[in-house]
Amino acid sequence: MSESLIPAETLERVGEVLSGPVTTVIDRREAQRYAYAVGDENPIYFDEVAAHEAGYRTLVAPPTYVTHAVVQPRTAADLRTDGLYREGTRIRLRVDRVMFGGEEWDFLEPVCVGDEITATVRLAAVDQKEGRKGPFVRQVRETTFVNQFGDEVARSRMIGIAR
Amino acid sequence: MSTDTATGAETTTAAPDLQTLNAGQELPTMHKFPDEAQLFLYSAASHNPHRIHYDRDYARFEGHDDIIVHGPLQGAWLTQFVTDWAGPDARLLGVTWQNRASGLPGEELVFSGTVTSVDRETGVVELEIAEHTSDGRLLMPATATVRLPTA
Repeated sequence: MSESLIPAETLERVGEVLSGPVTTVIDRREAQRYAYAVGDENPIYFDEVAAHEAGYRTLVAPPTYVTHAVVQPRTAADLRTDGLYREGTRIRLRVDRVMFGGEEWDFLEPVCVGDEITATVRLAAVDQKEGRKGPFVRQVRETTFVNQFGDEVARSRMIGIAR
Repeated sequence: MSTDTATGAETTTAAPDLQTLNAGQELPTMHKFPDEAQLFLYSAASHNPHRIHYDRDYARFEGHDDIIVHGPLQGAWLTQFVTDWAGPDARLLGVTWQNRASGLPGEELVFSGTVTSVDRETGVVELEIAEHTSDGRLLMPATATVRLPTA
């Protein structure tokens, strides 16, 4: 086993809330703008009758839209040179590069237009693994999305690979 | 309903029948042709200011061949691929994807999938799905779980 890429202080942060809770109302125009940008013109996103016939309370938002809906407005002064916003909470690792490894989603209840969604991001896991190209760190940020009825509607785990 | 953008033909396929669906069955493929305008619209609609999706010089500086298709857009297409196939009465329960590589504007992206398990009692169907470029480069291996109507 090579030297640890994960400082002890980072291991202690597993389970910690990294951002949120933030609450947002699912807006019809924004959800539909998103569906059009994807090119997903499913009638349940656009036609209330179709949504009712399919068993929904009202218009539905596309499955992964909820994660974009909760992005908070930020000043352009907070942009780094790569165009991403500076993060308030940084996870310290002894690595050069963090890449997106993938995502895992659980869809538990529908997210409908008008729903009030509260998102909380936690550091779910930080593990060192041995890969073909040497050691790397697998970091999981889990976001839980809860609606106005107190139901958890979705869970996303964003997997970062750092080496 | 799904639109085959390769031919422009709109094909309405019946939702899969839980009683006759079997593991090993393949889903009809879906094709996407992202261009610069679509990447711009997706950046805007998803509130994503990451420069690698709109600044060609910057994307090349970071080692990419061109501006690249957003990972979450490729993920949203994977969910569309499944929900178009499963029909409006089905419920998407989960999806996972791995970012292996990114598509580029001007490339044809192909979504394919296979049924890996069917539970006729609960209606839960597991799928192995993937996104490739039309010349066979794997961008995203993925899985999805969907519940089909049981009655």
